[in-house]
Amino acid sequence: MASATSACLLPKPVAPKFPCSPTIVASATHLTNAPFLNNASLSDQLCHAPRPCFRRYAKKNGWLDPFDFGDDPEMEYGSMYSEGKQDEDPRPPESPDNPYGFLKFPMGYGVEVASLGLKIRGDVRRCCCVISGGVYENLLFFPTIQLIKARYPGVQVDVLASPRGKQTYELNKNVRWADAYDADEDFPDPAEYTDMIGILKNRYYDMILSTKLAGLGHASFLFMTTARDRVSYVYPNVNSAGAGLLLSQTFTPDCVNLSDGGYHMYHQMTDWLGRPARGVPREPLPPLKVSISRKLKEYVMEKYTKAGVEKGKYVVIHGIQSDSKASMQSRGDTDSLLPIQTWAEITSTISGVKPVFVIPHEKVREDVEDIIGEEASIVFISTPGQLAALINDSVGVIATNTAAVQLSNAREKPCIALFSSEEKGKLFVPDADVKKCKIISSKTGVLADIDIETIKAAVQIFERPLALV
Amino acid sequence: MAEAILSFSKIIKPNAPTSCLQTTRLDLNSLSSKSLRQSYSSSGFSHGCQKIEGSKNKRAELQKMRALPDLTLMAVLVEHMEGQRDMITHKSIWHLSDVAMKNVYTFYIMFTCWGCCFFGSTKDPYYDSEQYRKDGGDGTGHWVYEKQEDIEETARGALWREELIEEIEQKVGGLRELEEAGKKEEELVR
Repeated sequence: MASATSACLLPKPVAPKFPCSPTIVASATHLTNAPFLNNASLSDQLCHAPRPCFRRYAKKNGWLDPFDFGDDPEMEYGSMYSEGKQDEDPRPPESPDNPYGFLKFPMGYGVEVASLGLKIRGDVRRCCCVISGGVYENLLFFPTIQLIKARYPGVQVDVLASPRGKQTYELNKNVRWADAYDADEDFPDPAEYTDMIGILKNRYYDMILSTKLAGLGHASFLFMTTARDRVSYVYPNVNSAGAGLLLSQTFTPDCVNLSDGGYHMYHQMTDWLGRPARGVPREPLPPLKVSISRKLKEYVMEKYTKAGVEKGKYVVIHGIQSDSKASMQSRGDTDSLLPIQTWAEITSTISGVKPVFVIPHEKVREDVEDIIGEEASIVFISTPGQLAALINDSVGVIATNTAAVQLSNAREKPCIALFSSEEKGKLFVPDADVKKCKIISSKTGVLADIDIETIKAAVQIFERPLALV
Repeated sequence: MAEAILSFSKIIKPNAPTSCLQTTRLDLNSLSSKSLRQSYSSSGFSHGCQKIEGSKNKRAELQKMRALPDLTLMAVLVEHMEGQRDMITHKSIWHLSDVAMKNVYTFYIMFTCWGCCFFGSTKDPYYDSEQYRKDGGDGTGHWVYEKQEDIEETARGALWREELIEEIEQKVGGLRELEEAGKKEEELVR
């Protein structure tokens, strides 16, 4: 008991110091009376490794602050602004009696210290996420946004994404503003660039996260937003030179293409965001969830009714080959579209439910009509929001590795996912069994060689519920 | 013999005219030709004149009065001729240097251009049109009344509330089911 209390009295960062001398610590914690543990200098002597795993993520950059020797081990923290998560809404209510609209401060409210949490605990009130990539990458960022929401209660999350990626946030209720700005552009329009810097600066962010691999250029863009924490991925090669100077936290991905990481492509960032702090345990990464508004559902229902199918009696087919930008592929898996002939073979065996072909561009409609027939149900959908609504009303999904797979997993619809290789399948749908998702992968590593018979056998799962009814 | 050497000096100098007259008288007494000439010259300028004693070789004198450093209002030129009366020329036109004239004309042209632009623009029908004068703007200089981001933001807010209501309904439904189950149990017990 006493040892437990004494351990609690210690500031938290001391705790991870112990692994380097586990035997001493073990004996110390077994003592019933361990007053010396309060002595910070002694606990320092116990372990002389400077700062082992508390700063595991922060590669200390001596250029940023040459006098930053880490946390002071002799510092004593109270629990006031240093422990636990931040408050949901620290703003006191407005005083109803006051004609000038002043706030009504409760007794003992110190305006001067109210913002201390921002400094000590590292509160984040406004957070901006700059996300590179298209729909798929943005969709996979949803769990991270949820994590931020859970880790920093009351945070306002804004998003900066490419025009296509921005459409994804129709499905996300946790985001406040979503602005279209293509961070991937190497030579942005100077007017747009400066305008965006001005907008971001005006919003006074506490933290700006970026999933674009930053070099000096992108790092200076983040720096100019004057956010307190500038967190970004950096290039894993020489291109990252100088970026660390302008960023407060950097992640080095394993390879140049972040999307190769599959479903957990942002794992370094989520690791860091969910890191344990004083009085806060590690924040688990929530599963991918999307929410679809009623308006959107109604709109899409009208759309697929026009195409000739009813709610709950169709299968969504997604991943028809075309050169459209709206095919919602991942950047980590370029071989993820099947020609319409293959789709015709796959869907030929489906009976009981109707396949709905999702085309990313109107020009594909003719091809589909040529091969499937005039009576084929075709829905033109280019935004992830409508696709999600369509999937939500369907029996299931047959799709190659496009956003449709992730959306069906998020809405917990049965899904047959066609992958070019087994490794890709494991990367992009990590726990397929739990998610009602059947992965069928090509043996040769080329998606076009995929075994049609296996798919035909798998497709039968969509007919079972009807047979039961 | 009439050497005309111009000397430049200013009219206003701290020399008192009385002393000036005194020196001329002294020169007259000495009867030297040079001093005679000088006495003439100085007597011609008896009002507000000055004389520098060291400059006995000067044959003509130019006096200027300036309104501004660059703007000469009046000039008086005195030419001395041997054995004749002095020629005194008053010039009261403005004397401007080339640079000063250039400056004046530049200013005139620039003012004209600015005036044309400014007063011309006040007559521009665009600024009086509805397109420019209508209500709108969000105070950021972007003269757009409804922004796409705003619409999307409110839509997302609505979505959030929708989900919240659904969650609450689910919870309430669960509670109701529990209550009903409890009631049934009670009935069964009875």
